[in-house]
Amino acid sequence: MPRYMVERVFPEGLHVPSGAEGQELCRGVVSRNAGEGVTWVHSYVSEDRSKSFCVYDGPSPEAIRKTAGHNDLPIDHITQVRVLDPYFYG
Amino acid sequence: MTGKAPALDAERGSIELLERASELSVLGAALDRVRKSSHGQIVLLGGEAGAGKTSLLRRFREDCAQDVRILSGGCEPLFTPHPLGPLLAVAEDVGGELDSVVESGVMPHEVVSALVRELRAHAPTVFVLEDVHWADEATLDVLRLLALRIENVPALVVATYRDDELERAQPLRTVLGELATAPSAERLKLALLSPDAVAELAAPYAADAGELYRKTGGNPFFVAEVLAARADEIPETVRDAVFARASRLSADAKRLLEAVAIVPSHTEPWLLEALAGDAIVALDECLSSGMLNAEVEGLAFRHELARLAVDESIAPSRKTALHRQALASLAAASGRHHDLARLAHHAEAAGDEEAVLRYAPEAAAGAAKLGAHREAVAQYERALRAGNGLSPDERAHLLEQCAASCLVTDQYDKGIDALQQALALRRVSGDVLGEGDAQRRLSEFLWCPGRTDESEQLAREAVAVLERLPAGPELGMAYANLATVLSAATRTDEAIAWGTRAIELAKQLGETSAAIHALVTVAACEEDYEKLKPTVTRALDAGLTGQASRAYAVLAGSAVQTHRNSVAREAVEIGSAFCSERGIELSGLYLRAHRARLELHEGNWTEAADAAAWVLRTPRTSTTPRILALAVIGLLRARRGDPAPREPLDEAWALAEPTGELERLGVVAAALAEVAWLEGDAEGVDSATRFAFELALERRSGWMVGELGAWRRRAGLPADAGESATGPYALLLDGRPLEAAAQWKELGCPYEAALALGDADEDEPLREALEEMQRLDAPVPAALIARRLRERGVRGVPRGPRAATQRNPGGLTPREHEVLTLVAEGMRNAEIAARLVVSERTVDHHVAAVFRKLDVCTRADAAATAVRLGVVAQDR
Repeated sequence: MPRYMVERVFPEGLHVPSGAEGQELCRGVVSRNAGEGVTWVHSYVSEDRSKSFCVYDGPSPEAIRKTAGHNDLPIDHITQVRVLDPYFYG
Repeated sequence: MTGKAPALDAERGSIELLERASELSVLGAALDRVRKSSHGQIVLLGGEAGAGKTSLLRRFREDCAQDVRILSGGCEPLFTPHPLGPLLAVAEDVGGELDSVVESGVMPHEVVSALVRELRAHAPTVFVLEDVHWADEATLDVLRLLALRIENVPALVVATYRDDELERAQPLRTVLGELATAPSAERLKLALLSPDAVAELAAPYAADAGELYRKTGGNPFFVAEVLAARADEIPETVRDAVFARASRLSADAKRLLEAVAIVPSHTEPWLLEALAGDAIVALDECLSSGMLNAEVEGLAFRHELARLAVDESIAPSRKTALHRQALASLAAASGRHHDLARLAHHAEAAGDEEAVLRYAPEAAAGAAKLGAHREAVAQYERALRAGNGLSPDERAHLLEQCAASCLVTDQYDKGIDALQQALALRRVSGDVLGEGDAQRRLSEFLWCPGRTDESEQLAREAVAVLERLPAGPELGMAYANLATVLSAATRTDEAIAWGTRAIELAKQLGETSAAIHALVTVAACEEDYEKLKPTVTRALDAGLTGQASRAYAVLAGSAVQTHRNSVAREAVEIGSAFCSERGIELSGLYLRAHRARLELHEGNWTEAADAAAWVLRTPRTSTTPRILALAVIGLLRARRGDPAPREPLDEAWALAEPTGELERLGVVAAALAEVAWLEGDAEGVDSATRFAFELALERRSGWMVGELGAWRRRAGLPADAGESATGPYALLLDGRPLEAAAQWKELGCPYEAALALGDADEDEPLREALEEMQRLDAPVPAALIARRLRERGVRGVPRGPRAATQRNPGGLTPREHEVLTLVAEGMRNAEIAARLVVSERTVDHHVAAVFRKLDVCTRADAAATAVRLGVVAQDR
């Protein structure tokens, strides 16, 4: 399954509540993704929380966009990526 | 119900159901919601064979649903299941209208209407369909249609299936895919037991828990069987487990088990008596051993795996004798459900060819009448397998009937093979009429997978052969088919000529079917919607569902291609509902592909992607819908800047190019040209369009000439279309982009309008084009236009388009946004329809989507939310 890097821009900043509420929120995202065969691997968030870089496995860019819609998350750009390991070349 | 999991060892009584607390709470919560809100809910419960689906449901009944009515039907593992099989049992239980409707063999949508009334009359109800991986198509249709209406039905519907059998249950996969997007549907997957749980179950037996887990993989049924066998060593397979258990039984009990094993699903007591003879005395022994369960419908194995294991082990001669007895008993029984599918099943297993030929074709015809064409194909094949004694004519007839059901269900290889055999048989017996008619059918068949040359050749041969005979309905169909094949090749004049002959002949003969087929083709060639629309009504009036569904699809396709959006929308909406209710897959798929293009034209990217993805998920041989859907996906990726836009287009081109048909390859060529243009690759535009542009000019296809010509012009390539281009494209090619943009806006095509504005040589239109592209979430063309503005020295042009942050509030599409505004103004759907010049049904559809997205139930709430989101101003 292809892997995608999804860049998101949050002009107001991304705020994930802590504790149970945040857990609930992330679980909701994961379960809504499952319907489209999309897996959220992990994300990086910029220090000022205005931008996130999210790694996803999914069947197609359309599925990535669809789950973003379900989760009410913006998409700035999707790039198909693969792993480049700095130690692979010895 | 068939027990399958660890909770029901008869020797020890019920044991604890382990690791199912969260699934139980999901079911309980779903039932609570139904109780409180009267909105229904569907739960799709999947798990591998033996995962404990039935045990979970039993516990659910005991714990949560004791005060609720439960209706339950199970599907049977017949090679060719009885249409609506599981509903027969439910209907009989319930009686009344539902019983008489199911009994009378009507279409699935009528069954659903009766079922909905029944469920509303006794709220709340838990309606269980078990083992739907074995379901016939009619039952799946019922499930699907019920899901569409479940919001307003106070019932919890639970459908269980084996997810390890999905590979072999393609129709179910399609239905699951469709239900996955429904807001009231939830999927539950039963996981296997953890090592801890297995250890807990093993403890009372002092069995080696680690070994047990390793050999069973945590499958609850395997675990239970292995433990119940109490063998010193753990058996290698569940088959061994089953035999280990059976081996402790008496000889009579073993014979009884065999009798039960040859009957899929349940064995009625009277049938068992006939099959088992004296061995019936061992019934109590079988029940108390836990191998069999006594249920309302009859006796059954605790688990299907066990039945299969026993069935496989029966000696061939004994098995044949048992099936023969079952056949005789079932045939003699004058019960109200004279079950042809069951009779045919036992007849084949008994090796009784005569009986197969007596029951299978009738079962096939019955299934086809119910729209269960896959079952029909399987029954026809069964008849053909047994048909050594058939005359060539009889055999050809069965082959043609089989092919007709293959056509509806996209089994092209099978259908083409059947028709080729039929054609050869007709030739052998010197039946000229049959030969010509078979040629025409085969020609129709070959067209769909893109074998266009063979298709046209056979279409002409059919006409030549049949013209040797006095003119009859077959010749009319042959004319009509030739017209359709030529129309697809955009050889319009020829197509109209043959179509007109078909219409005239059909009129003389009073033949409605050929007449409608030809009328649709001719009207589509002439792009004459006034003519095309009434043909739909005529087909409906004449009860010709196949012709009506084709007419919807042709109308929609033609309207999409010529950008008549409201005509297209209406044909797509009404036609899709029509096909969905009647299980007409092929036209339904075409309509879905046309919907994808329509949404694209209207600027609704999300809906376009959904519809296209749906088409691509449906594995069918017909290439046209796939080509159209691939083109939509490629364009969406290119416009949104998503990865791999060329991937779908390359596949589409590989499918379209060999057909040589403008209808298929023109759309792909235009999409490839747009991608090349967005990449700034003028040479790419040239190579994508050169062949198709020439072809379009040669065939005088105005819209295609215009679309391809417009891309060539944008890329600075020669695009001399003379007077051939149609619509706004003519203005574009004439160097009048602003007038073209105005026309596009009037047609309701915002992206095309923005592209046209982007062709202008002035700042203001370019600014408007940029804004529009950003609003549409088309960052790639927006960036191109922004660059042109900057090159012109315009200041203050944003560097990178931020389309994603300007999404419509609430995730609404532009059209939904518009509809919400009008709802907030207090307009009724009929008024909105009149204002937007669309059908009321279309407005219903948009309003429902708005409600869903805003999570509101009333128009007042929608209006309030609209104000909150800033969609409309407070004081309005």
